[in-house]
Amino acid sequence: MRALLAAAAVALLAVAPAAHSQGAYGVGSPDVRVRYIVDDVPAAVAFYSSHLGFKLDVPATPFFAALSRGGVQLLLSPVKGPGGASQPLPDGRRPQPGGWLRLVLATPDLESEVDRLRKAGVSFRNEIIGGLGGKQILLDDPSGNPVELFQPG
Amino acid sequence: MSETVNVRYMVSDVQQAVDWYVGHFGFEPQLNAAPAFASVEKGPLRLLLSGRGSSAGRPMPDGRQPEPGGWTRFQVIVDDIAAEVARLKGEGVKFRNEVLKGPGGSQILAEDPSGNLVEIFQPAPFPVG
Repeated sequence: MRALLAAAAVALLAVAPAAHSQGAYGVGSPDVRVRYIVDDVPAAVAFYSSHLGFKLDVPATPFFAALSRGGVQLLLSPVKGPGGASQPLPDGRRPQPGGWLRLVLATPDLESEVDRLRKAGVSFRNEIIGGLGGKQILLDDPSGNPVELFQPG
Repeated sequence: MSETVNVRYMVSDVQQAVDWYVGHFGFEPQLNAAPAFASVEKGPLRLLLSGRGSSAGRPMPDGRQPEPGGWTRFQVIVDDIAAEVARLKGEGVKFRNEVLKGPGGSQILAEDPSGNLVEIFQPAPFPVG
């Protein structure tokens, strides 16, 4: 028994560095991680899963969720909770959703993607605009965080 | 091999932002159309730095103006957060808070010159979420 425990401890120690270098939250090796602050984690999980094709990496809780699509892992943290990202600042300011920084999701056909999402009730901040590198539009998640849909070219 | 992921940050000064991300976080300069726009890359992350003069800087139909700031951020994963914070503070980087421990690991929020966040994160050895 003692030998078994010792072997188990060695095995854990051997595994720890690998688990560490691969990052957390049950995925092999997330390439890029982006954190959004949300009002309601389950509502955000439903939104990103059903509308934008994200898949949960680990079971979500009211205080945290991690979802992936392509090479990005989206971390969802609530405005209040035990997680580090939900703590207030030393000056009392609280994390909140919103702003203009965003994940950019490429799509081969922006018009039909926007059409599909509008029919599903997703709201947009603007209309499709053209820029140097392609076309883009901003949608809002249920907490008012923007996500940019982008069609290169 | 890795798929490039684009994240867009609004910045008040594009060239200053390029210098900051290249100088402190090891990003590689890519496109540079300052003062309107630039992009920098680190591994699979392509950070799009958009100034007010870029297409992403245009006001919304309701008049709202895109601007830097907020709480959305990308993560930089490190093995030794204390050492990384010491290095960055030595280089003059400003932080919004102190190192915080959560169930998944330790984190701290650095602020770029426009007030946008970068999360420095050290995963817990056995994260539980």
